[in-house]
Amino acid sequence: MSTDTIIQTEHLTRRYDKRLAVDDLSLEVERGEVFGFLGPNGAGKTTTIAMLLGLVRPDSGRAFVRSHDVQQEPEAALASVGAMIEAPAFYPYLSGRDNLRVLARAANLPDRTADAALAIVELEQRAGDRFRTYSQGMKQRLAIAATLLADPELILLDEPTNGLDPAGTVEIRELISALARGGRTIFLCSHILHEVEQVCRRVAILKEGRILAQGAVDDLLHRGQRVRVRVAGDPARAYDILRQVDWIGAIERRDDVLLIDAPGERAPDINALLARNDVPVAEIRADDPSLEAFFLEVTGQP
Amino acid sequence: MSFLSLFRAEWFKLSRRPLTWILLAIFLALMVVYFGMIFLLVALNDGMFTGGESQLKVLADFQVEQYRRWLSFPGVFGATFSQINSIGGICAIVLTAGAMGSEYSWGTLRLQLARHPRRERYLIAKIVALLLLILAGMGIVLVFGVGLGWLFGSLLGDAGSVGLGDILAIPLAVVRALAVMTPYVMFTLASCTFGRSLLAGVAGGLIFLSVDVSLGGITLFVERDSPALLFYNLLLQQNINTFVTLNSRSFGLSPELLVANLDMNVLPSPLQATLLIALYSISFGFAAYWWLARRDIPGAS
Repeated sequence: MSTDTIIQTEHLTRRYDKRLAVDDLSLEVERGEVFGFLGPNGAGKTTTIAMLLGLVRPDSGRAFVRSHDVQQEPEAALASVGAMIEAPAFYPYLSGRDNLRVLARAANLPDRTADAALAIVELEQRAGDRFRTYSQGMKQRLAIAATLLADPELILLDEPTNGLDPAGTVEIRELISALARGGRTIFLCSHILHEVEQVCRRVAILKEGRILAQGAVDDLLHRGQRVRVRVAGDPARAYDILRQVDWIGAIERRDDVLLIDAPGERAPDINALLARNDVPVAEIRADDPSLEAFFLEVTGQP
Repeated sequence: MSFLSLFRAEWFKLSRRPLTWILLAIFLALMVVYFGMIFLLVALNDGMFTGGESQLKVLADFQVEQYRRWLSFPGVFGATFSQINSIGGICAIVLTAGAMGSEYSWGTLRLQLARHPRRERYLIAKIVALLLLILAGMGIVLVFGVGLGWLFGSLLGDAGSVGLGDILAIPLAVVRALAVMTPYVMFTLASCTFGRSLLAGVAGGLIFLSVDVSLGGITLFVERDSPALLFYNLLLQQNINTFVTLNSRSFGLSPELLVANLDMNVLPSPLQATLLIALYSISFGFAAYWWLARRDIPGAS
């Protein structure tokens, strides 16, 4: 394992009765990156995080965090890890501040670290109120504050924007970006793809426990490497013409639209070529698909 | 992560939990009711409210004499320890189930163990915090019991007196009372980690207490020289009865006059009781650890 790898799983598998929750999952997360772990509900994201934290045992395979096997050396693996898994879970009878103090004391940290973490998530005003009186957004922010207590180098966030209004979602996104700028690695589980696209450099897409795609967002989406042409004339003829060009890779045809593997800056050349051959073009532009479109395509969801 | 840090966190949680204080309040209220009823029984027997003209004798004189001792020093200490090991046992089960079971129900166990993966340390910190909290509660109950004894004893005209020997007997009695509760605390913890819920903890602890007490009651029907007594004396309840009886006798009470099987001639020896209670506690504690260590830690239920 490279020293730059902070999370690595090798053929991680976990079955619940007859259901395969995580199936032969192998992934790597580099130190200092924001990594998106995407998948529809029930894809196995939370089970994977739980295995990374030693809360759920894999049936087979291994998980390494900070170069330590989570099952063999859990203390070393999780020494500098903050995690928010599933819904925020705290003691309802304690205030937000006291909940963080419990965690701080258990980690042998001074109580003031609780106040510092509350300040980061801007929860100081309601820090003295009982957790049970918090709104969903406040609970989410408290959970993020809890992950920051020990100033961890790796933060695992499982659906951190669940239940938040649009303003709260933007706040959390900005917070994640700020944490990433501080050099931390962030492993972000989410199904809000628009958010993930804005903060993550690399992603893995999971469905029914298996990784369907993994890599840099730009590479997966072929950003800047694809040209989209809507042909006003005969698309079949356009297809045949473009197939003869050596700097054009694969061409995908969808009705009157051609998706051409070619650098975006060659769009004028493609336009000129088709015009010379009397094939009128209705629209031509560098193709820039969204992560959401890619996700739906890969997972086969409508 | 040091054990002391985990203990501090557990103590912080438990001492701030409303359930802890509600259980203590219920316990103290039940003590008032219980001591009040004993007072009424003795007072009516003496005809205290009618100047001796009308006496209500529902118990034999030697039994009334025992109850009179409950309300005067030093017997009040023995009576208080007896309450600690009866009502207090139930409170300890509920407290323990709340402390461990709620961690599963609220999903906070994930929060804790994701940070402190050494589960045995986490469990030991919780056990130590629980036992120390029970010990602190015992201290409060003892002071309260002393107050009640003094009040009712004075009303009956004889509050008794306390000698140095009685004071010196208190620490050992506290240790015995705590030892009596420990197996139930451990069994409740094991029920929580097995069932991974608050409900499993409460149900497991209370069912075990009921079954154990019922099995212990069978000895009432066993002949003193019967070989079956050897078997019955391996039951937890019989060994607990040894400690309960010793605690009563330490303060001048004779519990065998009220309950036939609380007789040291029938009960296991103090050494056997010590060893068996320790064995039961360690076995249940290990079971709690085994299930905590082996099973997945679920989210909130």
